[in-house]
Amino acid sequence: MFVSDAPVGASFKILRVTFGKEVGRRLADMGFTEGAEGVVIRSGFLRGPLQVRIRGYDILIRRNEAAGIEIEPIGNWKPMGTRFRRGRFGNFGRHGMGIHGGVE
Amino acid sequence: MSVESKKILRIALAGNPNSGKTTLFNALTGAHHKVGNYPGVTVEKREGSRFRAGREYRFIDLPGIYSLTAYSMDEVVTRDFLLDERPDLIIDVLDSTNLERHLYLCLQFQELGIPVVGALNMSDEADAKGIRVDEKALSAILGVPMTKTVGTHGGGVDALLDLADTVADSLSETIPDAEAAGLFKMSAGTGGPRRSILYGAELEERLGPLEKVLSGDAAFCARFPARWLAVKLLEKDAHAYEALKTHSDFAVAEQLAKEAVLWVERHYRKDAEIVVSEQRYGYIRGAVKEAVSIVRKPDFSVTEMIDKVIMNRFLALPIFVAVLWGVFQTTFVLGEYPMAWLEAFFSWLGGGFQELIPAGFLRSLVVDGIIGGVGGVFSFVPLIVILFFLLSLMEDVGYMSRAAFATDKFLHSFGLHGQSIFPMMLGFGCSVPAIMAARTLKSPRDRIVTILVIPFMSCGAKLPIYVLLSAAFFPEHAANMVMSMYAIGVSMSLISAFLLKKTILRGDPTPFVMELPPYRAPTLRGLMWHVGEKSWLYIKKAGTVILAASLLIWVVTTFPRYESTDAERVVAMKSILLENPVLDETALAARLGTVNAERNLEYSIAGRLGRIIEPIFSPLGFDWKIGVAVITGFAAKETVVSTLGVLYRVGQESDSADENLRSALRADPGLNPLKGFVLMLFMLLIPPCFATLATIRAELGFQWLAFTFVWLFGLGWGLSFLVYRIGMLVGY
Repeated sequence: MFVSDAPVGASFKILRVTFGKEVGRRLADMGFTEGAEGVVIRSGFLRGPLQVRIRGYDILIRRNEAAGIEIEPIGNWKPMGTRFRRGRFGNFGRHGMGIHGGVE
Repeated sequence: MSVESKKILRIALAGNPNSGKTTLFNALTGAHHKVGNYPGVTVEKREGSRFRAGREYRFIDLPGIYSLTAYSMDEVVTRDFLLDERPDLIIDVLDSTNLERHLYLCLQFQELGIPVVGALNMSDEADAKGIRVDEKALSAILGVPMTKTVGTHGGGVDALLDLADTVADSLSETIPDAEAAGLFKMSAGTGGPRRSILYGAELEERLGPLEKVLSGDAAFCARFPARWLAVKLLEKDAHAYEALKTHSDFAVAEQLAKEAVLWVERHYRKDAEIVVSEQRYGYIRGAVKEAVSIVRKPDFSVTEMIDKVIMNRFLALPIFVAVLWGVFQTTFVLGEYPMAWLEAFFSWLGGGFQELIPAGFLRSLVVDGIIGGVGGVFSFVPLIVILFFLLSLMEDVGYMSRAAFATDKFLHSFGLHGQSIFPMMLGFGCSVPAIMAARTLKSPRDRIVTILVIPFMSCGAKLPIYVLLSAAFFPEHAANMVMSMYAIGVSMSLISAFLLKKTILRGDPTPFVMELPPYRAPTLRGLMWHVGEKSWLYIKKAGTVILAASLLIWVVTTFPRYESTDAERVVAMKSILLENPVLDETALAARLGTVNAERNLEYSIAGRLGRIIEPIFSPLGFDWKIGVAVITGFAAKETVVSTLGVLYRVGQESDSADENLRSALRADPGLNPLKGFVLMLFMLLIPPCFATLATIRAELGFQWLAFTFVWLFGLGWGLSFLVYRIGMLVGY
């Protein structure tokens, strides 16, 4: 399960950042590392960026980035439908492939 | 304190964005500061100093960064500055309300081997939020001496300087007392008492031998601290591997580093750089657990309440548009008065010189060339100041990242970035500050794309052209025509961005990872500072470039001088009187003057150039007059209108509201509504004024300037040609 699957209000614990290189590095620098806990605060219109609270501060990330952060849920919430995830607007579409580490 | 203590301390002020670094810098340095650029890049560099008890503290305000990688220009600048200049001390400014993330950078500074002192800034805010920081415990655990500060009112600044003294003096080691020696050991890059376990036993086991090999070359280590480089090598930092090539034991060290990376990645099944940052955060977690206690749950309520509206998924974009509309309305309404005063001042000045200097070249040079040209630009200064003030206000309050949130989805689908929005909007005012504002974009590709599309945002100087031509050729739909020009400009910018990102600037999308700071009350002092700084850059740049350009335009439109014969004057007078038999003497003289001015212009270099380049414009249906207007438009786009005024014999003082010029344009058999539209389109798309071109060159270099020029001209010409030909085919 990934941050991009979490509905607004969901808490989670980070398992790993599956991106390598620049993006993974950046996310790790900003505090997305194994064991860190976070909450999805809100989501932009038409699957715009996500606002995530982590390590006591708020950060905006695109769904592309959110789709590379593997998590386990805290509390009782169900992942959002995955019908968009690989679809036309999907996170692993033409943009995602280039930067994705290939670990899923 | 030691006898031989340094008289001058060079202190680098560093830290995360939103740590209150600049406010603390202001509190530390007061009014003594200067602004420049780092060599070779456009990152702003602020320096300032403070004198205290016979010692000078020279502060350098480094750009706000999150990590010491080579991700953004700011990070590269910071890294290079610290490695090359080796300041005596780094003051790391930390946001006490957000220590976990801010300490991450602190650990990296520590590895550089430069003494680090921590300023636990915004400590008042932390207190209010119920965050209790035990700075003594934190200093001891991390090995970085720290003290609490409040940048907004200068609280704790003396204690911070005391701490800087203690650390600096303990380094000159003439009389090392016990405490100073302790501090020295803590902060001199040895990484503190528990440093040996910072990255965990397994990583340290790999780092140890690597450090040892690196330390073998003393000269090399003077430039690249062994500990820092060892960690960077483990993080697979390309710059570190490049630097390693100058090491005397290059092959061995590289082999060792690569083995270490391989081992770590096998062992952890993760990228080595991610393992490193996880270890850092783990270490910080431990330190924060011991030294920071949270007496209340963090309170996000005020920010959250505002954001519920501002960042509402449906309202965010409309609110953003409304805010922008408000900004421009305020700018133009408030700016009108000082602009009028400045215009009046410059015309008074021009009038004064008109009387002082006898008629001739000198008078024309001073009045038309210098005062006219520079005055035209300086009357824009109030607008720029107000616009910058409002935008700085939005930035300081924290609205900028909310705007990026609102627009990112839309802009991203065209290959732009949420952060492109502000530079682009500034472009409606003036391209020069807009292009400079693109510096906030971290990725070079995003920055280039943003700068390249800014000229499509119709700047304030293009508006008079649209108003004139719309009123002349589309009197019924003038307002709509002007609006359509703006819309075409915006569409072209989006299309261009899309095409550029698909072709020459192709690559992985840059991540949108952006801190969302809580709302903070801005300080007037900070705002004034921002505004003063940015406006001065604009005045300096526009002033010098525009002055040169105005002089050049004056020369090409004045020389060589045409001397009309008496016979010609008589002919001209007769033809004027034949058209208008009722003209009185002054009106007749004015008409004659215009005829003369027009002859002059036609005879001048600009006129001849217009004739030479006429073949370029004739496929678009334009004659040489438009060519001349295009040439003068390079000085500043608003001169296009006055040039047309001269060319159409209605006098030099024409403006866009001049009915004479409108009817003259309408009466020209060489022009018609279709051509009027094509002309507007052409003026919208062709390369911008000299000042903008010079700014593009300064920001991106000559190659990109050449590219922009060719791209804009090609697009402008091609599109105008298409519209003209298709328009003719369908019978306009």
